[in-house]
Amino acid sequence: MSWGQIGAVLIALVVVFIVGHLWFHIVEGVLGGLKRLFSRKKEPPAWHPLPPDADNADKEETKHV
Amino acid sequence: MGLFSKLFQGPEIDQAKSDANRKKMRALFNQVVENGDAYQLIFGFTEDVSRFNYGLVRGSKSKIGNLIVGWDEAAETIVAVPTVPDLSGCGDPVYYRRSEIHKAYRNKYPTDAFIIYPDRKGYIGINAYDWLEDESLYVYVSQEEELKAFTEFFMTKFKTK
Repeated sequence: MSWGQIGAVLIALVVVFIVGHLWFHIVEGVLGGLKRLFSRKKEPPAWHPLPPDADNADKEETKHV
Repeated sequence: MGLFSKLFQGPEIDQAKSDANRKKMRALFNQVVENGDAYQLIFGFTEDVSRFNYGLVRGSKSKIGNLIVGWDEAAETIVAVPTVPDLSGCGDPVYYRRSEIHKAYRNKYPTDAFIIYPDRKGYIGINAYDWLEDESLYVYVSQEEELKAFTEFFMTKFKTK
């Protein structure tokens, strides 16, 4: 097999890899969009942020070290 | 010699970071769980693996969900609080009381996980390790002793078969 043929095979593999990735992200994007469209009315789950004093305590401790 | 022995030791745990995260876990847990100090804490996670087939490409995806897991030995209760790796916040707690669940057991295959069925319809699989290095996916905390204590509690007091 010549170097040209080896190069062509490698390029073909790279093209297959790139097309596969593009296809995966396109389908994921479409499915994600459809999910968002149908779950728009649902309330987001409750979320409780870390209390600021707990966060500051951690930073103070790091400063002393 | 010193360099090689260091190389073979593997990654070292940043104890200060681990301790800071342990405090954050406690603050978050106590914020959403009543009488939170009655519970011992451990970091756990769920892993949801799903297969996909998009024609040209097929494979599997996995979603990791971080949890602060608390257990109260006296009340025989496990509480799971969803969180994120940087511990910037948490969701609402879910209570699993031994007297109310359908069944609980420790799974060995495909992964070593603590499985709880609150009813016949669904289940939660809690994975726990003594330390996980990847901070982008998991809470950075060293918890060898806590894992031993949780395993002991689960196997002797909580599992149903």
